[in-house]
Amino acid sequence: MVSASHLTRRFGDRVAVEDVSFDLAPGEIFALLGPNGAGKTTTLRMLAGLIRPTSGTISIGGETLTSGNAPRLRSRVGFLTETPGLWERLDVRRNLLVYARLHGLPDPDGAVNAALDTFDMRGRARDTAATLSKGLKQRVALARTLLHQPDVVLLDEPTAGLDPESAREVRDLILRLRSERRTVMVSTHNLDEVERIATRVAILRSRLVAMDTPAALRARLFGVRVRVVLSQAAYRFVHVLRDEGFLDTSAEGSSLSIAVNDAADAAPHIVRALVEAGADVQTVTAEQPPLEQVYLRLLDDEVRLKPDTTNTGS
Amino acid sequence: MTRVLALLEKELADLRQNPALFVPAALTGFFSILLPFIVAIVVPQVAGERLSDSSDFEIAIEMYRNEPSVKGLDPEGAVQAWIFQQFLVLLVLTPVAGSMSVAAYSVIGEKQARTLEPLLATPLTTFELLAAKVLGSLLPAVGLTLACFGLYVAGVALFAQPGVFRALLTPRSLAIVFVLGPLAALAALQLAVCVSSRVNDARSAQQIGALIILPIAGLLVMQLTGSFLLTIPVIGFIALMLAGVNASLMLFGIALFDRESILTRWK
Repeated sequence: MVSASHLTRRFGDRVAVEDVSFDLAPGEIFALLGPNGAGKTTTLRMLAGLIRPTSGTISIGGETLTSGNAPRLRSRVGFLTETPGLWERLDVRRNLLVYARLHGLPDPDGAVNAALDTFDMRGRARDTAATLSKGLKQRVALARTLLHQPDVVLLDEPTAGLDPESAREVRDLILRLRSERRTVMVSTHNLDEVERIATRVAILRSRLVAMDTPAALRARLFGVRVRVVLSQAAYRFVHVLRDEGFLDTSAEGSSLSIAVNDAADAAPHIVRALVEAGADVQTVTAEQPPLEQVYLRLLDDEVRLKPDTTNTGS
Repeated sequence: MTRVLALLEKELADLRQNPALFVPAALTGFFSILLPFIVAIVVPQVAGERLSDSSDFEIAIEMYRNEPSVKGLDPEGAVQAWIFQQFLVLLVLTPVAGSMSVAAYSVIGEKQARTLEPLLATPLTTFELLAAKVLGSLLPAVGLTLACFGLYVAGVALFAQPGVFRALLTPRSLAIVFVLGPLAALAALQLAVCVSSRVNDARSAQQIGALIILPIAGLLVMQLTGSFLLTIPVIGFIALMLAGVNASLMLFGIALFDRESILTRWK
């Protein structure tokens, strides 16, 4: 649905985005992570047809984005900017109606009513934007972004500054977009959010540092580990597992941490060996280092994974 | 056209919610129409002298002697007609001065309110954006001019010598108000919108756009000194020039409007 090939954008001497390539499939939620100034917003703006890449190409629905077709292709993209950007003196309905008409929708009033219902804003339709809370403003901005039913949805920090309830509403909405087979790219600093919604993650620091599913990134950096909690001291069973070929096994209190190739395959074997050795197994889980750990390690350590640009995810 | 209308309606709705923006325009209009009444009616009454007794106004009496619209006026009425005609040029200034702040704020205001980026992410073209912005300032300004002109004529009919108001309803006067005024306003507002799309501060746009007042003020002075008269052919010539200037300004505005700079360099 969206394809970026060797995107580079320079502002004078400064390189904001360098040689970034990816393909996004319909129904994919693609999270763009990176520190401030990493080029996330610039990437989104290029995809939205707002700024041109210095080099490289973007295609949307198979059509290469050019300055000539940008106005038309912009109608296939919904772009939620970093701030809601509502006209504060106008009411919610008017804010949406202007955009419905700018997108040339055949029934602007109907589209606005539908959006107000979808976003549960019908009761506030006559309120001026200035009177809305930050969460409600973001909701209206999202309604505006999706008013014209775009195939591609670009969200620049959609939950920044929102309270947990509002943030959850936004996340639910993003998941709904996925079920509608829209292509979603979301830029965020909220790693917990990425964990919950993203099908794929790209870590950007001008260049693509890494791009894959969260699970695959974890596996690449930390391997796959199984944690077994026993009802007795774990150190007594380390040698049992090493004898079984699980050489990278460590113990801490009543927990064993075992490096494996595949958690699902290895778990029965581990449990059987432990039980046969007299261990009382309480729980067996796949160890998941938080995405934050993956992110920080990718950015701060010397680890640099070669981006896999052929993976289009689900 | 639909998109221009959509954005234009938004501009007008926004103005309706913030009528204070048009206070300077209303004040300019009010003083523009008040000034000639002070000169032609209040001052002679306070001083107890007739304007037609002053040799300074002989030229006016001479000029209007053969003017069909003021035939039958006595010398005092002829002088009043001359004064009210000359000051009509001030009404051309009303929309320019009045809506300058609106136009100057149009693009930079959207940027400062962070409403420009979502707008630019729609299929809206630069021409459509600029056209809506200029019309959003021009239409209220022209409306204000019409209201001022109506008040002006009504005031003249009420307070001046009988028949003087007919001198304001000549083709020349109407051309000044309804052709020259809007065209000059359009040029000024386009200039302001162009500048507004290039500066970081609405005040800069306002100051640069207000430069258009200088030639209009010059016209007024030349009219009053009798060194230049806005006859119908002269008005036609100026109108053609302004039409050319307006077309050039639109093209210039589109060329100047740099979406990327606006989005990436303005803070």
